[in-house]
Amino acid sequence: MDKIPDQIGYLVLTEDGAVLESGGELENDERVATIITDLIALSNKVDPLAFGPNEQFKKISITYDDHWFAICLSNKKIYVVKRNIQQTGSESNAIIV
Amino acid sequence: MEKELDKVIEEIMSTPNINGCLVADHQGLCLASKGSAHVDSAGIIVAISEQACKLQPNLKPPTVCLETEKKKCLIQRHGTITGAIFKQISNI
Repeated sequence: MDKIPDQIGYLVLTEDGAVLESGGELENDERVATIITDLIALSNKVDPLAFGPNEQFKKISITYDDHWFAICLSNKKIYVVKRNIQQTGSESNAIIV
Repeated sequence: MEKELDKVIEEIMSTPNINGCLVADHQGLCLASKGSAHVDSAGIIVAISEQACKLQPNLKPPTVCLETEKKKCLIQRHGTITGAIFKQISNI
């Protein structure tokens, strides 16, 4: 998890929300762990019409202005990574100019 | 009164790869929906956006994206209004 580019924090949770591993800004962050497990429980109930019963979500992302959370489920574990959003070169140049 | 909202919805629906869209108020009541978005999912969509807002309550509401193999659901809150867009993922 430490090798993920732009990573500023991570969590590995069990399906019931217990923290298995953590690091960076999310180190031992039980609050974020609870919010994310609740969010996953909610997302299971989204629109059965738009998303068929066999269409399980493979990824959830929560995007803020300068960072985002990526949430994935694998091997009965929940992986959460907090990542920085790099400003693109053209945008930062525009600010300088 | 709903004309402006209907116009925005029409505009969203005319964008390529959009399957459906939905607008709901803070109580989870559906204000408008079109395409594959079902009125009944308004409550869940608002609940998801509220849950995501709890992550960092001091920052402005984030955009939540739920992804399957072929589809995406984007949820964004603006003030008391929550909007959701159901998208087909293009293979380009």
